[in-house]
Amino acid sequence: MKKNHNNKFKTPENYFESFNERLFARMSAEEEEPNTDFLPKSDGFATPDSYFEGVYAQIQSKIGFNQGRIISLQQRKTFYYAAAAIAVVFVFALGWKFNQKTTELGFEDLASAEITSYFENNEFGLSSYEIAENVNLEEISIADLTDTSIEEESILEYLDENVEDLEDLDLNYEELE
Amino acid sequence: MSTEEHLVLELKNKDTQAKAFEVLVNTYKERLYWHIRRIVMNHDDADDVLQNTFIKVFRSIEGFKGDSKLYSWMYRIATNESLTFLKQKSKKSGISNEELQESLVQNLESDVYFEGDEIQLKLQKALATLPEKQKLVFNMKYFQEMKYEEISEVLETSVGGLKASYHLAVKKIESYLTDSD
Repeated sequence: MKKNHNNKFKTPENYFESFNERLFARMSAEEEEPNTDFLPKSDGFATPDSYFEGVYAQIQSKIGFNQGRIISLQQRKTFYYAAAAIAVVFVFALGWKFNQKTTELGFEDLASAEITSYFENNEFGLSSYEIAENVNLEEISIADLTDTSIEEESILEYLDENVEDLEDLDLNYEELE
Repeated sequence: MSTEEHLVLELKNKDTQAKAFEVLVNTYKERLYWHIRRIVMNHDDADDVLQNTFIKVFRSIEGFKGDSKLYSWMYRIATNESLTFLKQKSKKSGISNEELQESLVQNLESDVYFEGDEIQLKLQKALATLPEKQKLVFNMKYFQEMKYEEISEVLETSVGGLKASYHLAVKKIESYLTDSD
């Protein structure tokens, strides 16, 4: 048995001399494929008939594809708005029918908090043209659009900095006087 | 640009992803199904895991950087989903992973979607006794006929380590089948 004077561990006789031979033998054994002749060729698992044909449709329905396209949230919102609008009309129609003999429900019966919350939580996506068509600017003032009161001085300062040609403002000077 | 790179680009593009995803599912559904099925054993569970795998692939495709091949990445997701599924199953049943493996093999005897004969059932019993990694390597190499380099990308293990695992797995299976005769 060979002794190593630097430490107390020992190795079997001729361990290092035969190491390369054993290493190469193991490496070549691992390169060879092990014998698997005793193993069955298939594993016996089966699937229901035509299973694979329906896989995509199932995944498609889970992901939210419809007829090969993704339904975007924006599109869904449109459906929700349409459904909500129909539901609102239906509820009002029913309410009107059943309450004719009793107390009539009006727009003012809706809690203003509910109306505010409805407008805050729903995105209407109206174009500026549609807004202009439906909102009568003569009946509203700047205070209806914002809670923040703007000082006249700030408005003048803004106009001074941002408007190059006063004609663009199309001001009615008679009303301003 | 390779076909795979092209497919990945189409999957990341909102306008083309629906069609590209259909191509992806139809290309890989069978290979991934059999990979998953050999891990979870039961058809219904394999179907669930396969769907979850594709949904995860679809939702994570933005993060796919192309550092590995697309199919290796999908195989990795499928492997993780299958192993996680089994861990949750054993946890729910209050049994160890080894006990779960035994019960999965026992259930095969009454499984309408297992058409194996006696030797195939014995092979499954032998596989149930192997450590998780050896079982994976054996199934991928022997049944799916994957190359060591491909398995190495999926399991993120060296080719040398995989060869050793495969050799060990075959030896253990051989000894199990011989002893049980």
